[in-house]
Amino acid sequence: MKNFFRKVAFGLKPEEKAPSDPLTWAQKQVETIPELNWKGKHIYSEKEMRKYWITQRVEENTTLRKKFKNDPAGFKRAEKQLENDTGAKFWPNNEICIRHAEGIRSDNPVLAKLWYFWTNHFTISDTQRLPEFSTGAYHREFIRANMDKTFETMVQEATVAWPMIMHLDNKDNIGPKSESGREEWRRRKKEPATLNENHARELMELHTISPKGGYTQEDVQELAKIMTGWRPKWTKKSDQGTDIRFMSDRHEPGKKNVLGKTYKNGRKSLKIVIKDLVNHPSCREFIATKLCRYLITDHPTKEMIAPIIKAWEQSDGYLPEVHKAAIKVAFEYNDKYQKFQNPENWWLQTINMSGASYAYPIPEKKMDKFQLGILVSENLRQPDWRLENIGYHPYKAKQPNGYSDISTDWLSTELIIRRLMYAKEAFHQYKIKDQIDDTIHEKIIRANFDNPDKILKIVAKAKSNEEKHMILFNLPEVLRA
Amino acid sequence: MKISRRDFLKGTATSLFLAGFNLPALATSSRKKNLVVIMLRGGMDGLCAVPVIGDKNFEKRRKSILIEDTIKLNSDFALHPRLIGFNKCWNENTGTIVHATSIPYKQRSHFEGQNLMESGGRVPYQEKTGWVGRAMKLANLQGDGLALSLPMPLLLRGIPKNNNYFPTWGRLPRKDTLDLLKSVYADSSEDELLQMMDFIKKRKDEQMMGGTGGGDRQKNKNLARQAAKYLRKSDGPRVAVFEVNGFDTHAAQGGVDGTHTECLVEMDEIINNLRDNLQEAYKDTIILTVTEFGRTIKQNGGNGTEHGYGTAIFMAGGLLKKSQVHTDWPGLKRKEMYEGRDLNATIDARSVYASAMSTVFDLDFKRIQKEVFWGEDLQNLSDKLFKA
Repeated sequence: MKNFFRKVAFGLKPEEKAPSDPLTWAQKQVETIPELNWKGKHIYSEKEMRKYWITQRVEENTTLRKKFKNDPAGFKRAEKQLENDTGAKFWPNNEICIRHAEGIRSDNPVLAKLWYFWTNHFTISDTQRLPEFSTGAYHREFIRANMDKTFETMVQEATVAWPMIMHLDNKDNIGPKSESGREEWRRRKKEPATLNENHARELMELHTISPKGGYTQEDVQELAKIMTGWRPKWTKKSDQGTDIRFMSDRHEPGKKNVLGKTYKNGRKSLKIVIKDLVNHPSCREFIATKLCRYLITDHPTKEMIAPIIKAWEQSDGYLPEVHKAAIKVAFEYNDKYQKFQNPENWWLQTINMSGASYAYPIPEKKMDKFQLGILVSENLRQPDWRLENIGYHPYKAKQPNGYSDISTDWLSTELIIRRLMYAKEAFHQYKIKDQIDDTIHEKIIRANFDNPDKILKIVAKAKSNEEKHMILFNLPEVLRA
Repeated sequence: MKISRRDFLKGTATSLFLAGFNLPALATSSRKKNLVVIMLRGGMDGLCAVPVIGDKNFEKRRKSILIEDTIKLNSDFALHPRLIGFNKCWNENTGTIVHATSIPYKQRSHFEGQNLMESGGRVPYQEKTGWVGRAMKLANLQGDGLALSLPMPLLLRGIPKNNNYFPTWGRLPRKDTLDLLKSVYADSSEDELLQMMDFIKKRKDEQMMGGTGGGDRQKNKNLARQAAKYLRKSDGPRVAVFEVNGFDTHAAQGGVDGTHTECLVEMDEIINNLRDNLQEAYKDTIILTVTEFGRTIKQNGGNGTEHGYGTAIFMAGGLLKKSQVHTDWPGLKRKEMYEGRDLNATIDARSVYASAMSTVFDLDFKRIQKEVFWGEDLQNLSDKLFKA
């Protein structure tokens, strides 16, 4: 039964008492969205963060390129200083601290674990300097903040948010027959307006109905036409950093037909087509399956996803209800299935079960000392490096489909070596008094396992407390939950 | 396969011709042949690496970033002067360039392009396996893949039990600790973890980690030394995959010391260190590069280049037929370029890859064409590029 606390959250701290009604304990956490646990002063909106992005891009792409056009070394130096000036190396660390504080310090770790699920579902991959400035804020503002609304609301907001439009190139999605597409300069400069299908395809494939929805290449193109014109306005001073709006002069005129339904010309159609996509049966099936894959097993069954789909249908995709249903299924299958944990969740579980959450994430008062313009110290850059080294950086996925949720993708020699190394590093997050506390592992094990004696016996074979940490956090019982 | 007298004579002649190579020991079993793929991410500029000689169209469009003091390869093409390792291969008759080539992708998106250069397909994100992985499966080479990166690249997917090497700081736990975990995994039927633990234990025995300098260990030139050690073992892997990042030089691409050069040098160091450290096994190896696209001919306002189309493939190793620039040169006049701006591709890069794998994996080209590349229209270049 105690496995459940790791399955839907990050386990229990050494001194923590197991809640007497685990299901209710978990379900209550997803009903509302509480304030963030993080009390540091550097929490900015996506729009505020964009100011730094704009400075970085405009300076880098215009000023510095011109100034150092024949001096690559000088360019590099200037680029480094610019990164200090804009905080490029600081923000992602700060955002990771905010993200991880939810998992291991807040009263709603279950909500946090589902937040991480959704941030991967709506991946902003590593491109256009978005990881440094925007992705963390996007995750807070457009994903987490919508976890007490319907899935439709989340998709609507996640889709037209600036980072997503940028990341999936919808800024380049211009109707060939639009007002702008027909302008003379395009012919002269050989820059014809073309559809960019990227975002339209991912909206269906990754975010809503999945390939099982049965759309064709033509549907992708038609959806792309509906999406034409949703973009920032380019200005010399802000590059592409202005707010997303519907620019009718870029919009492909005429009716569009997606999955057999006709949509009118103009701004309103995107909202309507998203509504139709999220209400498509393939969408709820896709999301329900993904939730089960994240929480329960690589191979969800029809029986597992059925109650989640039902909750979706009864609540019109109201996410707290969908989440509660998923948690209930996870609870019911708790003993039967153990899911291999992805590297980030494993790391958080290791810290949380160790009881080292006083040391990780980096405390607010340290992060608050950061000042723009100054080189960020190595200490403050650890969170970023660690996630990269562990193979799961939520802002640096290589592709828009994010990180895999299949166990085999987390099994490579090097990735398992990382787990050995980082279990050791988790041990060194401890204060000395914990490091020399010979009862610490017994406390961890008794708090987190139904069969503590079996595990104690294995761990007792290790020679030192440090080694006990490495063994314990690499036991199948801990790697899986 | 027994080596016939004819083969032996041929082998001897080759060895004498290639000064510096020892006479191969007479093999009684079939030779172990290796494939090394270097993925060049960001769009490698084929015309920075292997510029065309005496083309006014080219020189005019690249005034500020033209590479000087290039090494002449033949009457038409030159080599970037910093590619010292490849130049050695060239001089030993084991270096080949395929020019004006590309995967069949023209949309200029890095992510789509990189996905396709690994999957070998035409629709981004559609395939979940890579062309090397699929071919390895066809050749039944389970457990023979080695990625020099942290995750398993798409390129190698499609066959289980690939290993990887990307060392981090610190040292592995004591042998007892590994043994303890191994026995736990065995008891709980965690087969994959058990298999990983075997890999890790082996690594422990080889003292593959330890001490400091983790950052340096992850550098490609050092990974190449290590990969060579693995590849030259008779029971070692047969396929290794590297990644070089940073070819996307929109600015300050520079001339001979520019940012594009740095990336090319990183590639060259891999080739050089493989060549040096593979020793005997170099003669049974093909090293080749892949990239998602080339770059525009014309430099931009920031002395960089934009995303293009046609590019070049570097190949080295003893299984290359000879040193040559293999190309069906499309020309660089406006009409001859792709969309009036990029080097055109006249050879599907996948023809080169299918031919190389046919040679290394001893598979019929047609089978690779059909089962790895879905029967697409590819050319068999084996005779032109590789030794039989």
